[in-house]
Amino acid sequence: MTTTVSAAGLSLRYGSTHALDDVSLRLGEGVTGLLGPNGAGKTTLLRVLATALPADSGTFTVLDHDPGTTGGRQEVRRVLGYLPQTPGFHPDFTAFEFVDYVAILKELTDREARHREVRRVLAEVDLSDVRGKRIKKLSGGMRQRVALAAALVGDPGFLVLDEPTVGLDPEQRMRFRELIARAGEGRTVLLSTHQTEDVAMLCNRVVVMAGGTVRFDGTPAELTARAAGRVWSGTERDPAAMAGWRTGLGAFRNVGDPPPGAELVEPTLEDGYLIALDGMAAEVAA
Amino acid sequence: MSAVLEKAPPAERADEQRRSWAAVLALALFEARKLLLRLPVLLMFVLYAAWIGWTMRDAWSSYPALQDVDRATQTGPLLPALAVLLCANQAVLRSQRQDTDRHFDVLALEPWRRTVGFALSVVPAAVLTALLVAAQFTWAVLAPGSVGHGSVGELLVGPLTVLLAGTAGVLLARVVKSPFAAPMLMVLAFFSILFLGAVPGDSNGSATRWLVPVIGDASSKTLPSDLLGRPAVWHALYLFGLALTLALAAVLVNGGRTKTVAAALVVAVGLGTWGAVGQAAKVSKATTDARVLATLNPAKVQSCARHGNSTYCAFPEWVPRTGTWAEVTDHVQSLAGGTAAQEKLLVRQRVEARYGMDADGAIEPSTVPYQVTVGTRWGGPRVPEFAAAVSSVLVMGSEKATGSLCDGRMVTIMWLALGWQSDPLTQMRAVRLDDSVSGSAIVLSPTNPMSMTTQQTDVVRELLTAGPNKVAPAVKAHWAELTAPKVTTAKVAQLLGVKAPAGADKCE
Repeated sequence: MTTTVSAAGLSLRYGSTHALDDVSLRLGEGVTGLLGPNGAGKTTLLRVLATALPADSGTFTVLDHDPGTTGGRQEVRRVLGYLPQTPGFHPDFTAFEFVDYVAILKELTDREARHREVRRVLAEVDLSDVRGKRIKKLSGGMRQRVALAAALVGDPGFLVLDEPTVGLDPEQRMRFRELIARAGEGRTVLLSTHQTEDVAMLCNRVVVMAGGTVRFDGTPAELTARAAGRVWSGTERDPAAMAGWRTGLGAFRNVGDPPPGAELVEPTLEDGYLIALDGMAAEVAA
Repeated sequence: MSAVLEKAPPAERADEQRRSWAAVLALALFEARKLLLRLPVLLMFVLYAAWIGWTMRDAWSSYPALQDVDRATQTGPLLPALAVLLCANQAVLRSQRQDTDRHFDVLALEPWRRTVGFALSVVPAAVLTALLVAAQFTWAVLAPGSVGHGSVGELLVGPLTVLLAGTAGVLLARVVKSPFAAPMLMVLAFFSILFLGAVPGDSNGSATRWLVPVIGDASSKTLPSDLLGRPAVWHALYLFGLALTLALAAVLVNGGRTKTVAAALVVAVGLGTWGAVGQAAKVSKATTDARVLATLNPAKVQSCARHGNSTYCAFPEWVPRTGTWAEVTDHVQSLAGGTAAQEKLLVRQRVEARYGMDADGAIEPSTVPYQVTVGTRWGGPRVPEFAAAVSSVLVMGSEKATGSLCDGRMVTIMWLALGWQSDPLTQMRAVRLDDSVSGSAIVLSPTNPMSMTTQQTDVVRELLTAGPNKVAPAVKAHWAELTAPKVTTAKVAQLLGVKAPAGADKCE
């Protein structure tokens, strides 16, 4: 893997809380999923990497640019596409105007080329037909795609997406996955999500965070493999299990250290995620 | 974070700078388009354009003096200025209000450069105002009978006021992040203007009144442009410096702490201060002397033209209008009898310029025989006023003598002044202070007003209704009796063949 984004020893505290605690990671081309429960530090990490928030300590580079200097930070911002969690919109702008506005702030200055690019990204997120509509008249899913178009405009080398599928219905989520998968072709995408299905379907790499630290960094298959031999089926929830729940078939699926003679079942990515979270699993499963 | 210092090569840095400034320009154009399409701005520009249309309609028939027209362009732009202040302020606050800050903060264009873009976005509104001002002024220039000279300084005040309001809106948004701040500022500005206007000053007016954008005059008279003494160019410089100062202060507040911005701010403050000091200076001695000369001895600065028997002397800017005055004089003389019909009159333009535009002053009637005073304004009631002045001099011999007039000669004077007009009763209404055609009234003239009794009014109205073909021969035939001192109104009526009023002449 050719490293495009690398971070070493990133730490950030909010008062006495460690939002990031010595986080190090290396990202390459393709979609990297960032999984973790609420308060794990995912959004903080994304905001640091997006230069929205300075870390207390540690370093990182994005496509060989060091944001530690004013010039370097500008360079990072020039190659960055950022979709924040619950993005804001200017409701009186049309979809075209909003993306065009972002394009201007990304310093795409040639009017004709910029408008061509705006049309391209709006087509990419399948919004060509409504590009002249005011954002306040668009549905939630469409707005989210406008925000993605705004992140994609200018063909950024590093795309940071903070929980982009939250609030979308299943159909919209599927469409969004398609878009993200396409966006990951030839660029580095860091996707923060609560949805393990998103990771399973999109990511060639996954980072699990909890309590401001990286708990896992590897491929989805490796994360799934972590749960091998630690998932079993039973007629009741095993009190010794980290997590256990009744499945649609009526049996209980338990994750943790199986008792002797337990009926082991094939693990999923979600099981691996729970194992990676370890002590926090019960909270997550609840 | 890493302390490694990456320095791009100079050529690359220059390219980045160019790119950033091009983005500033693109942002300014985007925001300018949005600003001009905002409903309050659109509405105010439409109202302003409608107001200009209204004034244009009047300009075509009011013989405008361009040194008045330029000042008259200044109040209209206050409408779009208020809207631009509000909307520019809201545009800057938009990102915060609509929660796009979190996203936009990580975009490449630096915040202080965005502020430059916002400040520049108000320029097209100022340019649009300038175009409307230019249209208003050009229309007046093209109007028939326009005279005088406009001042670029006065014409710039409107557009600069819009620019100032816009930059104030931008700065305010950068300092106070509340949408209520702009309306509050407008209220504050209103009371500040009242206060600044109320601070006592010297004979040139309030010491601080020039600090507000648009300065009115205490007088509505028209003076030759070189006697106005308004520091128009200084005021324009002051407004420009102030607008630039506000814009650069907003950039500075928003993180643009570069040497260039700091230097530009110093220059802007310097320009504003230079303008403020320049405009606060008293009227120059040369202008004061010129005002005295123009008031007391206008012949020294006037040019004269001969039309028919009479001579017309005017301040240089009004010389093209002497032909129009001559037409009126000819009409009046054509109705007169005796030697008055051929009398060589000297029509002299006179002004009371000693107080500048700070106060009005009446022009004393001339004591010189057969000299008629004409003012600096024309059109509307000024025509019958001048006609009344001509006829009064033809009947009484001088303007001064008219002051003691209290007999039937007033009937002859008014008939000569109005009898030739196509709609004499309307003109009679226009020349009388109370706009009536019955009862006693003051009759306006370029110098002292005259008065008409109820009886005289009745006789004049009957004569005007009868028409000039019927009355003119009688006037010429009885000229000596009609203009004899102490001739009664009843006698005049009898001589001219209309019903004589009862009672003796009684002046009020």
